[in-house]
Amino acid sequence: MDLNRLLMVAISVIFINNFILSKFLGLCPFIGVSKKTEPAFYMGLAVTFVMTASSIITWAVYSFLLRPFHIEYLRTLSFILVIASSVQLIEMFIQKFNPALYKVFGIYLALITTNCAVFGVAVLNSEMFLKVADNLTRSLVFCVVQGFCAGVGFTMVLLLMSGIRERLELCNVPRSMKGMPIAFIVASLMSMAFMGFMGFRF
Amino acid sequence: MKRLLREFLKGITIENPTFRLALGLCPTLAISTSIVNGFGMGLAATFVIVGSNMIVSSIRGVIPSKIRIPSFIVIIATFVTIVELVMKAYFPSLSKALGIFVPLIAVNCIVLGRAEAFASKHGVVRSIFDGLGMGVGFTFALVLISTIREAFGNGTLLGLIIVKGFEPALLFILAPGALLVIGILMGFINHVTER
Amino acid sequence: MFRVSPAPHIKSNLSSRKIMYLVMLALLPAGIAGVYIYGLCSLKVIFISMASCVLWELLFLKFRHKDPRIVLDGSALLTGLLLAYNLPPEVPFWIPVVGAWASIILGKQLFGGLGHNIFNPALVGRVFLQISWPVYMTTWKNPRWALDSVSTATPLAKEGARSFSYIDLFLGNHGGCIGEVCILALLIGVLFLIFTNVISFHTPLSFFGTVMVLAWIFGGKGIFQGDPIFHLLAGGLILGAFFMATDYVTSPLTRRGKIIFGIGCGLLTILIRLKGGYPEGVSYAILFMNAMVPMIDRYTKTRKYGLVKKGR
Repeated sequence: MDLNRLLMVAISVIFINNFILSKFLGLCPFIGVSKKTEPAFYMGLAVTFVMTASSIITWAVYSFLLRPFHIEYLRTLSFILVIASSVQLIEMFIQKFNPALYKVFGIYLALITTNCAVFGVAVLNSEMFLKVADNLTRSLVFCVVQGFCAGVGFTMVLLLMSGIRERLELCNVPRSMKGMPIAFIVASLMSMAFMGFMGFRF
Repeated sequence: MKRLLREFLKGITIENPTFRLALGLCPTLAISTSIVNGFGMGLAATFVIVGSNMIVSSIRGVIPSKIRIPSFIVIIATFVTIVELVMKAYFPSLSKALGIFVPLIAVNCIVLGRAEAFASKHGVVRSIFDGLGMGVGFTFALVLISTIREAFGNGTLLGLIIVKGFEPALLFILAPGALLVIGILMGFINHVTER
Repeated sequence: MFRVSPAPHIKSNLSSRKIMYLVMLALLPAGIAGVYIYGLCSLKVIFISMASCVLWELLFLKFRHKDPRIVLDGSALLTGLLLAYNLPPEVPFWIPVVGAWASIILGKQLFGGLGHNIFNPALVGRVFLQISWPVYMTTWKNPRWALDSVSTATPLAKEGARSFSYIDLFLGNHGGCIGEVCILALLIGVLFLIFTNVISFHTPLSFFGTVMVLAWIFGGKGIFQGDPIFHLLAGGLILGAFFMATDYVTSPLTRRGKIIFGIGCGLLTILIRLKGGYPEGVSYAILFMNAMVPMIDRYTKTRKYGLVKKGR
């Protein structure tokens, strides 16, 4: 296993090609759930969990169903169905066996069943690692690492944003910029700071 | 007729998906680097919205309400797959430029939102007009944002140089520029409408 | 109702306006050195930058129907000065104008003006310019007395950099930004700030410490073979650490927070310098850590006295 490439994938998806700040995936939860730190944290957790899980599931679908039968064009349809239904399944499972966890966590799971960041990581995985026939375990590891780290990057930016927005509540922001507009300006400035990570080499 | 016109116009103005409802922002920001990309994306999304609205409204009496969301998703994903394949065959360069955002139309909140909020409750013709209006409104927003970004970030409009000697600010076609433009545009629209 | 919390009470009882002018005074030697080293073109950049910062601020205050006298608080002038110090000496005249727009409007006024901004305005301007016009922002000028007038790379450049003696680096005998080259002049200003007790030293010291230790460990061919002194003297580290990472508004409130802030800045700076695509990382590092400040404050707040109830 080439660890170097794995590390590169991880760093790239957390910092350089951060899902929110550079790929613009998952902007709805980013703007919607970043007003307070606590919900932002749970949202990040849920996204990370679902991204990792759906990376595994879509890896299985692609390598055991789509590629062997040459029906890759059904990728969009099958991924979306599989992700949505498995998230629902996980949600029901948690609701049944751990109601306390479900109480703080469940609503976020429901919110992201058709989230573009989750779907995006699956599509990205298939473009990057699954299209070319490869060793199965190898592609699984790459998919899982990319899925997990995409979630970590998402959580990090969401948390930073929520901290800033809590502070912005006390700020004298012009009336027409309050709420979403200033959130986008903050995101833009954060994205500028993240540009510093461009061109990393290890 | 008047009612149909109203369904059509509301998507462009008071219920504009991008500026008023803040839906479907992900593709809006990601691919609005040039006018051609923005327009192509807008057309593709319009096709999907109109198509899914049409099918959803015509079978709205048949689907049991418990499984309506999954069946909407299947309908939408089917149209997205059609767009994907057609684009890949006839507009390969556009397909390459839009990248993963073509399959991502399937999870665009505008599409599912219209299917659930409008098409599942209204007749076929009205749903088609609603879809058209939303699609055109989305395309309009995309073209507006991509015009600004292309002009400042590349110094061109539709690939033609506007002012000789203008040195484009690279930032505008990169990620921070997209967030900056949408933030300022939203603030500007708030400022104008709050009067 | 008044609630006393350990929040923004600055340790000294200087007014913010007085602080602004004291910091500007402290920056004066570095500016003189910059003009002496690169010639009058640097003076032009400094002047345009400060003037356009003030003009943008006046325009925005008029737009928001606010008292134009707010501009006299000196923060716009200081932002303009710091922005100019972060620019190469030979940039076209419109570069500082656009940079001033980004600094004042994006970095400060859209957040509600002085005291409300999240990011350091001068750095917002600099990074905006760096991303937008990378060529202008990395075209350096040699000192006036250099024999070859061809512009060269800064000491930190990834390729094509020649080696400089510590004395050259210390006095600023090489290409670089206007205000960052002459370490001697900057240190005179820092001494002045120590004397007037304006800035706290937790951030700069932890910043330097982190950079030097990491440069020593990872900066060379093998492990523990790097050159910490070089990384301290080259680039904008001194200027950034003393004059921009210590900004009251955009750095943490507590001592512990300031140290964490400095360590974070150092870590990111050395990461970008050694592994990143850009030669210099100080401005990106500080900007990134600015975004972390609310989080740092949240977890380093002293909770001993007057536990303030949640919510306002």
